[in-house]
Amino acid sequence: MNRALPEMLNCMNAPGTFLAGNCTDMTVLERQRARMKWHQHEHNDPIQLHQQQQGYNFSGNELSGVFSVPIPTGQSQAQGFMGLVCGDSEVKPDPCSENRWAELGYGSCGLVVNNNGAAGFEEMINGHNNNSNISRTFSCPPTVAAEKKSNDAVLSQKINSPAGKESFKKRKADKVQSSKAVAAEDDSTEKRMKGCAEEGDSKITEQTSTKNNTNNDRESSGDTSKDNSKASEVQKPDYIHVRARRGQATDSHSLAERVRREKISERMKYLQDLVPGCNKITGKAGMLDEIINYVQSLQRQVEFLSMKLAAVNPRLDFNIDDLFAKEMFPACAANFQTIGMSSDMTNSAYVQFNPAQQMVSSCGLDMGINSSDLALRRTISAPVSIPETFLDTSCFTQAPPTAIWDADLQNLFNVEFHQGRTTPFQSQPFTGSIEASNLKMEM
Amino acid sequence: MRNSTSLKQEFLKKWIKGLQVCNSSSEKKMTILERKKAIKLSADIAVASTRNGTTCWSRAVIANATQSNRVVVERILGPHKPSRSVSSVMHKKILKKSRRVCSSRSRRVLMRKRDAAKTRSIVKRLVWKKTQVLKSLVPGGEFMEDEMCLIAETLDYIVSLRAQVDVMRCLAATTELINGK
Repeated sequence: MNRALPEMLNCMNAPGTFLAGNCTDMTVLERQRARMKWHQHEHNDPIQLHQQQQGYNFSGNELSGVFSVPIPTGQSQAQGFMGLVCGDSEVKPDPCSENRWAELGYGSCGLVVNNNGAAGFEEMINGHNNNSNISRTFSCPPTVAAEKKSNDAVLSQKINSPAGKESFKKRKADKVQSSKAVAAEDDSTEKRMKGCAEEGDSKITEQTSTKNNTNNDRESSGDTSKDNSKASEVQKPDYIHVRARRGQATDSHSLAERVRREKISERMKYLQDLVPGCNKITGKAGMLDEIINYVQSLQRQVEFLSMKLAAVNPRLDFNIDDLFAKEMFPACAANFQTIGMSSDMTNSAYVQFNPAQQMVSSCGLDMGINSSDLALRRTISAPVSIPETFLDTSCFTQAPPTAIWDADLQNLFNVEFHQGRTTPFQSQPFTGSIEASNLKMEM
Repeated sequence: MRNSTSLKQEFLKKWIKGLQVCNSSSEKKMTILERKKAIKLSADIAVASTRNGTTCWSRAVIANATQSNRVVVERILGPHKPSRSVSSVMHKKILKKSRRVCSSRSRRVLMRKRDAAKTRSIVKRLVWKKTQVLKSLVPGGEFMEDEMCLIAETLDYIVSLRAQVDVMRCLAATTELINGK
């Protein structure tokens, strides 16, 4: 606890200054972040956590039930808070009750800070909390506290503020119901926050209330984690948006049909990403045309390549089979791994095979800057940008690979050759050195 | 889903193994067409066996290859292959039967639709025709009744075809180089 204290004070100071900065929406967001951070630090400390929850429970009316839980360190301060809070039941814009709420919301902070005699901080909070959106700010800390693990910053202010505001009352009611199951309540708030993030609507209240009810039922049943996860699974279908528009049928068959069609169109989108030149085409027929053409071209390429291989090789054993299997394959594999390293980050669901990666590795010889640039862009941008890069690279992948593969394999092969046999190649040192440096760069 | 790199490696390994099998199975001198056929067969089998029978198209490829050249397929895919191929043939029979039923039903549905609304039905027929073409292109596609299944299989097939083409191109370039020197 003492270990976590300075960090906590730090984190708490930041919100304090933000409060001084007139409590705009950004400050709420920033404070959430700070709180999240703080909770990550503080997560391991059970005593503090306990106090935190204690502090949140102050927001309920049932102070007696809350105080029946023993606090190891901050008992006296808690008593003081009780004195402050006693007659307070709802949020009003007048400053004095706000101050009390401030102490409520920052209950844990107050406890710890008072333990160390740093009451000035609390003063600062009290002094600057004269804003009317104070209820919102105080709806935040419990929910953020509930988010110990999921520190996703997706919870934007827009989502959070109405949800928090409206679930505030609910929470109070909840605490009355289940003030003893503090940890489980924590879980439920977390779940509620997830629900809020998913919905982002103003009609959250109904759903949150139902969620709360179910969660409370489950809490009373006793199980915590497993049950809650099951609950989330059960509740999840509520959030698949199968929404019938005006005039659409709402019976289960047509809804299922609609879901199926959506899935198909999603996969078609994946196909669009996969098939080059399919981005601009709208309409199913055209897309199917493109796909058919592409598959046919690939099949023809396979035919052609097998014909070429048959023509190139007088016998079927390829003359290099053993070499390829024994010596060249490891080297080839190493080369592949350099491709794979860069391609790991861009795996969206279906796009396994990225010509961009191919290009990055294969064009490394002649356009090193460009390739590194592309690689950089790839690392920065999410898989969303794949179509765009496809557009860029589709032209490249057509032209260079044979030549570059030539060079690659030639080099690999020659390395092997230099190791194994004594066949002199005149042009080898040149390409070999370039390729080696390139490989190093890629590594 | 796996990385394309590991896919390529696996394909290359299996393909070379298959080529060796093909080479050892035929002692006499082959013509170029025979060689091409053997190469293509082994490549197809190799690319299908990288999927481990999880996808319809790979099973269909293996089944077709088994019909044309049972010995090579069995040698490439190992001793436990025959049972699977027999079962796939059985599946094929069942599927063929079911397909007959389904296709007649779909034809009937199509007729009805044509009567209902002309413009929509024209578009739908176009899409349907193209879907049929796609089904004929993707191995085993004629057994896929579900459009979703067909599209998923097509995705997978395209991915592995690309890997196959890449590896083959690479190998062709290498052999050309070696033979040229």
